[in-house]
Amino acid sequence: MKILVTAKRVPDPETTIKVNADGTGIEEAGIKWVVNPFDEIAIEEALRIKEAQGEAEVVIVSVGSADCQEQLRTGLAMGADRAILVSADNPDPTAVSRILEKIVEQESPDLVIMGKQAIDDDSNEVGQMLAQRLGWPQATFISELELAGGGGSATCVREIDGGLETLSFPLPAVITADLRLNEPRYASLPGIMKARKKPMEEIDASSLGIELGRSVTIVSVQPPPERAAGRVVESVDELIAALQGEAKVL
Amino acid sequence: MIDFHLDEEQQLIRDTVAAFARERLRPAGHEADDSGEVPPALAQEAWELGLAQATIPEACGGFGQEPSAITGTVIAEALAEGDLSIAAHVLSPRLVIDPVVLLGNEQQQAEILSDYTGEEFTPGSAALLEPSWGNSAFDLKTTAVLDGDDYVINGDKCQVALAAASPWIIVYAAADNGIAALAVRAGTPGLDISEREKNLGLNALDTREIQLKDCRVPASMRLGGDASDLIRRCRVAQSAMAVGVGKASLEYACDYAKEREAFGTMIAQKQAIAFMLAEMAIEVDAARLLGQEAAWKLDTGGDAVREVSIAKSYAADAVMMVTDNGVQVLGGHGFVRDHPVELWARNGRGFAIFEGLASV
Repeated sequence: MKILVTAKRVPDPETTIKVNADGTGIEEAGIKWVVNPFDEIAIEEALRIKEAQGEAEVVIVSVGSADCQEQLRTGLAMGADRAILVSADNPDPTAVSRILEKIVEQESPDLVIMGKQAIDDDSNEVGQMLAQRLGWPQATFISELELAGGGGSATCVREIDGGLETLSFPLPAVITADLRLNEPRYASLPGIMKARKKPMEEIDASSLGIELGRSVTIVSVQPPPERAAGRVVESVDELIAALQGEAKVL
Repeated sequence: MIDFHLDEEQQLIRDTVAAFARERLRPAGHEADDSGEVPPALAQEAWELGLAQATIPEACGGFGQEPSAITGTVIAEALAEGDLSIAAHVLSPRLVIDPVVLLGNEQQQAEILSDYTGEEFTPGSAALLEPSWGNSAFDLKTTAVLDGDDYVINGDKCQVALAAASPWIIVYAAADNGIAALAVRAGTPGLDISEREKNLGLNALDTREIQLKDCRVPASMRLGGDASDLIRRCRVAQSAMAVGVGKASLEYACDYAKEREAFGTMIAQKQAIAFMLAEMAIEVDAARLLGQEAAWKLDTGGDAVREVSIAKSYAADAVMMVTDNGVQVLGGHGFVRDHPVELWARNGRGFAIFEGLASV
C-alpha cells in the first residue's frame, strides 16, 4: 500500500503574528516555521496504517519554497519513507490542488491523507479540490479511520455540524484529518538521524505542464479588531442592565 | 571561522526535545516535586524517543549516533527547561552509557550496554560526589586499589542519582594512575546503598548516599584511561541544564510582567522590573554561549579545562541570580507554589554546590 501525505510550511501556532507594513501579508522575520498541525495528524495516521499493516510506503509532499525541506525532514524524522518538494512561488489552493493532482498521477497512491486545512490561511479547499480533480471519493474532517478488505476500502467517522457521520467508500480516496483523529508522535533521535539519509526529490512546479496562475488575489490583510477589556460589575442587577442596555443581548 | 548555527539535524533535535519538554515535562514537574517521584510512563516515553541511549554503538545493538557534546547541551538545556528533576531522571542512563561508549573497550561495551538496549526505560547512575569537606572531583577520597585481578574500592559517596534502581553504577575513585571510572554492578558485595536523601530541590530525583567497603570489582571493569575528560563532559551538560532552568524562569517572568498590571501599566514597563528581566536575559545567553564554546572545544578534541571550568562556574551563578529574580518579578506570587518560579529557584540552587549531581 502507498499513502501520500502533505506537509505545509506554516508559522508556529505559538508565534505572535503581526501584519506587515504594507498590509499584504504577515511579517515573516523572526517567525518559527512548523509543519501544519493538521498535516502532522495526517502524517501520524499514515504511519499508524503502515505500522498496523507491516508494509506500506509513506510519501510526504510539500508545495512551496525551498525552505519546505525543513518540514519534509520533520515528516521523515517521524517515520515517512521519502519526500517530494514541489517548488512553487506562493501558490494558491487551486494551484496546489493542480500540482498535487500531477503528483498523484506520478505516484499512484492508494490513499491521500492531508490536514483538513492549514492554520495559516485556513482555506480548507485543497483536499476537496484534489478529490474532485481525481474523481476519487473524499472524506473530510475525519476523526476515525478504519481500512477494510486488505486496504481496498475505508470507513471514516467525520465531524459534522450537530454530530458524527460515518462514511464507507472504496480506495483510492482523499481523506482530510480533523484534530481528534490522533495525537502525533514526537520524532525520536534515531528517527531524526535516519531522516538525513532518506530520499528527497525536488520537482519544479513549472515542469508539470499545468496552469499555476492565481485564481485568488489577496487584496489586504488586517489584524482582527482589538477586543475591549472586560469589566467587573458590582451586582447581578448591574450585569443585567449592562447586558440589556449596552450589549443588547437580553 | 565563528558560526553559531546549529545544523539542520541539531535544530530538529532541539525543536523536538523542546516540544516534548514543554508538553510533557513542564505539566508534570510540580506534582513530581510534591510526590518525589517521576511518573514511570513519562520516563518510558523519553526512553522511546532515544534521548539517552542513541549513542550506543550499532555493534552493541544501539543506534550508533556520534557522541557530541554540543548536541548533548542542546538536549540537556531543552529538557531542563521543562523540568530539571525529570530531565535528570530520564537522562540518567547517560551516566552509564556515555562513559562506556567513550572509554569502554569492546568487551565492556558488550557487557554493560546490553542492559541499555531494551524496550524498557533503564536508569543509570554515577558516584562522584563525596560527603567530605573540601570535596573536589579531581581530588577524590574514595580509593580503588589493584589487588590481584580485582580493584578494591573503599569510600563514601553522596548525591548518587538513581543508585538503588540502576543495574550499573559508574564509581569514580582515585587509583594509582589518575581517576578511575569503574563499572560496578548492582548487588556487588561491599556496595551499600542508604536511604533516600532529602534535598532542597530536585525532589523528584531519587538520590542516595552509598558506602563502598572493600567492594571488589574485576579489574576488567575499569573503563580505559583517565576519566577527567568524562567529568568535563558531565560538567558541560550540567551547565546546559542550568541554562535551561534559567531560561524557564526568565520566560515565565517576562510573560507575567507583560500581563500583570500595577499603578495603571504593566509591570514590565516599570524600570525596576525591566532592568531585572534584561539582566536575566543577558545572564542566560552568556551562560549558554560559554557552555557551547566549551562543548565545541570538547568535540573538536581541544584541551577544554579552562572553558569547561568557566562555563560551569558561570552557569551555576547565573541560574541562581536568574531564578531568584524570577521569584522577585512575581513578588508574592513568586513565593507561593501556584507558580513554578519557586520550584526553579530551589532546583537552580544546587548547581553551585555540586560537581556531579545529575551529571549527564
